Parts: sequence; C-alpha cells; structure tokens
Amino acid sequence: MEKMLLSGNEAVAYGALAAGVKTVAGYPGTPSTEMIESLLKMDLPGTNVEWSTNEKVAFEVAAGGALLGYPTMCTMKMTGVNVAYDSLISIAYSGCTGALVIYVVDDPGVSAGMAEQDTRGFALISDLPVLEPSTLQEAYDMTKYAFKLAKAIQGPVFLRSVTSLSQSHGVVEVEPRVLPETGHPLMERNMDKYTKAGAKICMDQHQDLLNRLTKAGEIIAADGINQLHLGAADGAGVIAVGVANAYLKEACQKLAAAGVDVSQLSTLALHNTLPYDDGDIEKLLQHCSRILVAEELEPFTENRVILDAYKLGKKVEILGKNDGTYARINYYNAETLIKGLCKLLAVPVPESLAKRDIQPEAHCAARPITVCAGCPHRGTYIAMEKAIKKLGLKKSDVFITGDIGCTILGTTPPFEVLWTEVAMGASIPLAQGVVYAGTEHPVLASIGDSTFFHAGMPGLVNALQHNINLTLVIMDNYWTAMTGMQINANTMQSEQIHGWHALDLEQVLKGLGVPDLKLADPYDTEDMAAKLADSMQYEGVSVVLARRECAIQARRRKVTYTPVKLIAEKCVKCKRCITISGCPALQFEDGVMKLDPTQCNGCGICTDLCKPGALVKEG
Amino acid sequence: MQTYDIYLVGVGGQGVLTIADLITRTAFRKGIPVNYYPTKGMAQRGGFVKVQLRLGSSEVGPDISEGGADLVISMERSEALKAVRFLKTGGEFLLYDHRWNPAAVMLGKAPYPDLATVWDEIAAVGGKVYALSDKDLPAYEGRPVRDNIYVLGSVLAQTKITDILPLKDMEETIAARWPKVTAVNAFTLEAGEKAPLLAHP
Repeated sequence: MEKMLLSGNEAVAYGALAAGVKTVAGYPGTPSTEMIESLLKMDLPGTNVEWSTNEKVAFEVAAGGALLGYPTMCTMKMTGVNVAYDSLISIAYSGCTGALVIYVVDDPGVSAGMAEQDTRGFALISDLPVLEPSTLQEAYDMTKYAFKLAKAIQGPVFLRSVTSLSQSHGVVEVEPRVLPETGHPLMERNMDKYTKAGAKICMDQHQDLLNRLTKAGEIIAADGINQLHLGAADGAGVIAVGVANAYLKEACQKLAAAGVDVSQLSTLALHNTLPYDDGDIEKLLQHCSRILVAEELEPFTENRVILDAYKLGKKVEILGKNDGTYARINYYNAETLIKGLCKLLAVPVPESLAKRDIQPEAHCAARPITVCAGCPHRGTYIAMEKAIKKLGLKKSDVFITGDIGCTILGTTPPFEVLWTEVAMGASIPLAQGVVYAGTEHPVLASIGDSTFFHAGMPGLVNALQHNINLTLVIMDNYWTAMTGMQINANTMQSEQIHGWHALDLEQVLKGLGVPDLKLADPYDTEDMAAKLADSMQYEGVSVVLARRECAIQARRRKVTYTPVKLIAEKCVKCKRCITISGCPALQFEDGVMKLDPTQCNGCGICTDLCKPGALVKEG
Repeated sequence: MQTYDIYLVGVGGQGVLTIADLITRTAFRKGIPVNYYPTKGMAQRGGFVKVQLRLGSSEVGPDISEGGADLVISMERSEALKAVRFLKTGGEFLLYDHRWNPAAVMLGKAPYPDLATVWDEIAAVGGKVYALSDKDLPAYEGRPVRDNIYVLGSVLAQTKITDILPLKDMEETIAARWPKVTAVNAFTLEAGEKAPLLAHP
C-alpha cells in the first residue's frame, strides 16, 4: 500500500489498475475527464486507454473487451450517458462475461453547465447496480469492488460519483497495478445472449437481467457495503446516500457541539442505491417512527423507502424531497444535513448554526467569461457579425445554432451571435428544423471540431441528403479544448500518441460531397466575413471550415505570432477594441488603454478593429 | 485532530489554485488529513475560481457550509464578496486588495465595489480583516514578485493557520516545488510575512 495525493478521478483510475483493467475508453467531460487523462500519462503496457469519438463508441469499445471475458471500463460525464445509452441498455440485457464498469460523474450544483441529471434514473431503466462512493478512499476501494461485482453477476455495473468527490484531492492508499490477463480470450458465439433476435430471446434476456440485479443485491448485502446502525427504538433515523454520508457525520458533530442530542439517531449509510437495499430499509422502518432521507438530486431512494413502508403497513413519517424538506436541485453540504436533522428531531436550528441574514454578493461585480486572449474563434464570431452586416441584416434576423464546448461562448457578450446550446451535435439538425420552419433569412449552425466528429456528422449527412439551405461553420481548433485540451481525431498528427492517426477534417467534408466548402482563417476576420457572407447566399448546404489552433495549445507548442503593439499617442479611447473583441489582454484602466503582453499572443484581431491605428503588429 | 477549513477565491490566472496546492502538499507531507476541492468554472483566465480546503479530518465532505470557514483568502477585491458568506462568525479574512476589472467595469457600464464596502461586509459577520495592498508588492531584481506567494507569506504570518502549518514547512514545500528559483520565492514569502496591513479606509 502506498499513500498518494490523488483526485477522486485519479483514485478511480488507480482502482481500475488494481483490478487489472484491460481497456479503458471514454469521452472527455467535466467533471470526469481526469480519470482517463491520468491513465494516458502513465506507461501501461497491456492496457488499452483511449479518448473515443463519443461516449457510445467508448462504451462499445469497453463492452467488446468484456464480451471476451476481460475487465474493462468506460467513462463519461452525466450527459454522456444519454449518448451511450442505446448500446448500454442492450449490453445490460445481454450481460457480459468480463467485468464491465461504467464510471459516470454527476454534477449536482452544475459546475460544468449542463443538465443537472441523475444517472441513477438510467440505471433504474436498465436494471444495473449502482455503487456510490462517499470519500476519496472509497472512490478507490469501490472501483475495485465494482469490477468484482460486475464479474460476479456477469453484467455491467455503474460506478457513480459527483463533481465534489471526483474533483477533490486527498490522501488515498493504493495498491500496485495488477497486470491485465493476456491470451485465452473467451470466444463465446452465443446468439441467445448477444443478439436480440426474437421475442423469446429478448424476454429471456430481460429475466436474466432482473436475476442479475437480484444477485447483485445479495452479494452487496453479504459484503456489508451498506451500514445500518440502530439507535433508540421508535426514534428518528437517517438514510444518507454517497457523499451525504460525510456531511451527516459533520452535521452530527456540529449539532452535538451546539448542544443537540444526536446520540440516539439510527442511521443507514448507503454506498449503493441500486438494487435498493430493501432489507436494511425495512429494518430501519421497523425501528423508527421518523426517517430523513438525504440524497443529492432525485429522490430515488426516498421513493423506495415510502414504497417499502407502504408494503410493511408501517406508519413512518418520511422527510426528504416529497414533503419539501429538501429541493431536488443543487449539491449538499453539512448545512443541508443540519437543516434536515433539526426538522427530524423537531428542534430549532441552534443559533450558532443558523443562516445569517446577509447579502454580500449584492455588491459584487459580475464577471462573465469569454473566449481566451488569442482564441481564433473570437475572429469567427466577429466575422459572423460582419457577414450579417454585409448582407444588410441584423443579428436578430439570423438564427445561428450553437453546439457544446468552447463554442458556447458565442452566446455571451460581447458577441451574442449564437441562439442555442442543446446537445453534442444538435446544432446542424436544429438549424435544419429552423429552415423547415421557414425563416426569411439565412440560417447558420456552428460547431467545434471534436463535437463535429462526436455527433455532428449524422446531422450534416442528413442536411446534405435533404439539400437544406443552411450554412455550417466548423470552428476548428484541433483540440477538445473546453475540457482541458484532449486529443481528438482532428488533432494534428504530430500530437497524436500511441500510434493514433489524425483525420483531416477538410478531406472528410470533401468526401461527404459538401457542395460549397470554404476554408477560412478566423484571424483574418475580413476575409472570413466575405467568405461567410458568400456562403450564406448559397442555395444548399455550405460549410465554412474556420481553422486555427487553440491559442493555449499553440502557446504550449511554441507557435508564435508577431506581437501586437499599442501606440498610446494614437489611441483615441473609443474602446472599440474591447467592446467588439472582449479580448482579456486589452484593458482600460485609469483612463488609459493597456495591452497585457503576457496575455496577448499576437492574433492581431484587435488591429483590424482599431481605426486610428493605435493597435498594430510590430515589425 | 483539530479541523481547519479554508475558503479561497480569486480570478483565474492569479495563482489561487497554487496557494491551495502548496497548503495541500505541506499538509500531506506532515501527515495532516486534507481535502482540496477546486472549482475552476470553465478553467479560464479571468473567470471566478474558488478552492475549498478542509484540514484535519480524513472523512470529510468537500463542500464547506456557509459560516464554516476558519479562514478566507481572497486574491481579488470584488470576488472577496462571494466568500464572505462562508466565513465563520469571528473568522479570519485575508484580502489582497487587487482590482481585476471585468470588461463591463472597464467600459464604465457596471459598478465595482470599493474597499470599505468589502471590509464592512466582512466585519458584519464578525470577520477579522487582514488587507494587503497590491501596490506594496515588492520587486526582485527589477521584476514584480509573484503575488500569490506574497499573499501566502502574509497568511502564514497573520492567521491561525500557523498552529497547523508552520512557516518553515511551507518554505520547504515551496523550495521543493520550484528548486531553480528558491531565492526569489524565499524573498517573496518573507516580504509577504512582513507585508504592511491596510487600515479600514
């Protein structure tokens, strides 16, 4: 055992290595990205680790290994499950001989700006077990356990974490990596298991799936994964799920220190939600007259507790989301538990722990984010605005769908040119729908390179087949940037690792037969605007491929541009450069324009905006 | 073991994560349980950044409750206001009085709080304020030193964190992390220790 300082995501990675994982595949997504990222930094002969094209692909890659009997894993953020789910539910019904673990991180409190969805809902529909670690050490231990459980039931297992745990760093005791087995793959050709050919096969698989879930419950109970502690009879009980367990301990300590007697509480610490731990829930129901259920997001456990109480015919007051004690949104902390415990115990919240009536944030300056200094696609948004103007239109005339990733920053000031942020790849079909709806003016879709490969291509194929009059702008920066610069299929060959191959996006578009395809350099906003305006007038599918490497990555790779110089005496303080570009390297302080040379990468976009010529390229 | 919670805020690019990382490494070396939870938003320069550090307990939830932090460290004046709610009544608040203007403020379209407003909000929850001016940031061989190390020096000199993490241990962590620039970092840390404190304006 070695003590290491690890994040929750890294703890899961080490847990998988200790379980002898053979393949790990995933798609980047905050808050889960560091799991694969940490593995890609290690030399792991015998284990396949990759960023896949999307989450469905990642799941299928992992599942293929599990079909042959090996331990495999796939990883994604919560919304990635939406993408993977078609294959996921099919494999759930089939089962697999190797241990297949699906690591998903949910985001209560929405730190990453996506739907605040609860993965357990998916697990309910696919009847898969869900393990929920509550501490960093448990993130490691339960990863190992997830592989053991999956192998034992011969079916996939969800390992569900949340942002706060996966993004936390702390001390974790880890064991050495177990080398994956090699040779003797299990070549099981079993049509009853691996096809859905006919009602009998499908219903047999459904029954087998339900049997596996029951078996998982028996194993989890035998292994003592959940802990029931019975306090005073006919008293108060608490059920806490995952990270809520840590906050329950903290809340009890704080309440005890404030003079509230919590010594007689009964508790059920749940580290798995599915299958429901009916055995322990029933014992708690039999023992208590009031029960508080603390689980972030949806009240899955709570609803089961209510059902179990009904089945037992026992009148127990259940506090949680159904009675309004808790909200179904946001993350928990000790304060959440203190509030619930005080209501459970029918005592007022002690003065020292009560919420203070303050609003300090009211004086805070709003700090909206925008694209980085030097971001090539600052130029793309400016070119969009210019092209709209060139055609004699207003921004409110031209519907431009946005996609996912850095490109969403076109929705916010100073650009405000994009109208939607829906889902990976959604921009193109949405734009088609807008065209069908019959707008008078050109319709545009915008998407990043990684997102285009992820789920954008089917939408473009559809638009091409149906000859839709729309313009697609692909904001190519060669990297999966928003999640922290992961390699994707479009990343240049020199940066691909492990013998991976780069695909040329331009060739892909040509191969699809895009009738009007233009390449543009977004650093040249005038040229790009002219091309874009031209494409917007094209009858049919037009694509503008705006290519320039992400400024952060270019800097890391020592790509340099001629620096921009500010000639102070020429500046008329019109501030156009800031109002139009929003570039963080440009500042107006104490009545003077300043250019921060540590941020400026020399993209030169501001030099086109500066009419008096105060901002110029040096040399 | 005594528990000690620290809430750090600032703007991406100010080195908030580095301060938290140094405290975390020092705690790790000393065998003090620590949970380090950064929230980087969209991880960009210029965006709001916060870190929650929980020392002294190994089985702890990452999020600090309102009114739970023993110490707040803010690297920016306006962002300090987002942390006040988390300061324990009577807790310590180290404010680096630096302005990082959002674009709307630069363009004169949005207000920016003055130091007295921020100070009063901290005082309203009984907070003890230690305020440093960015104008006092010294230079080393003609170049301004890193303000996050400077602030850390002041934190270690002024606040009760030293009951858990003595300055000497922090010096070792910093030297081990950047072995090539030990002189400037030692100078910066010491300048931070001796940094003059502002009075309420």
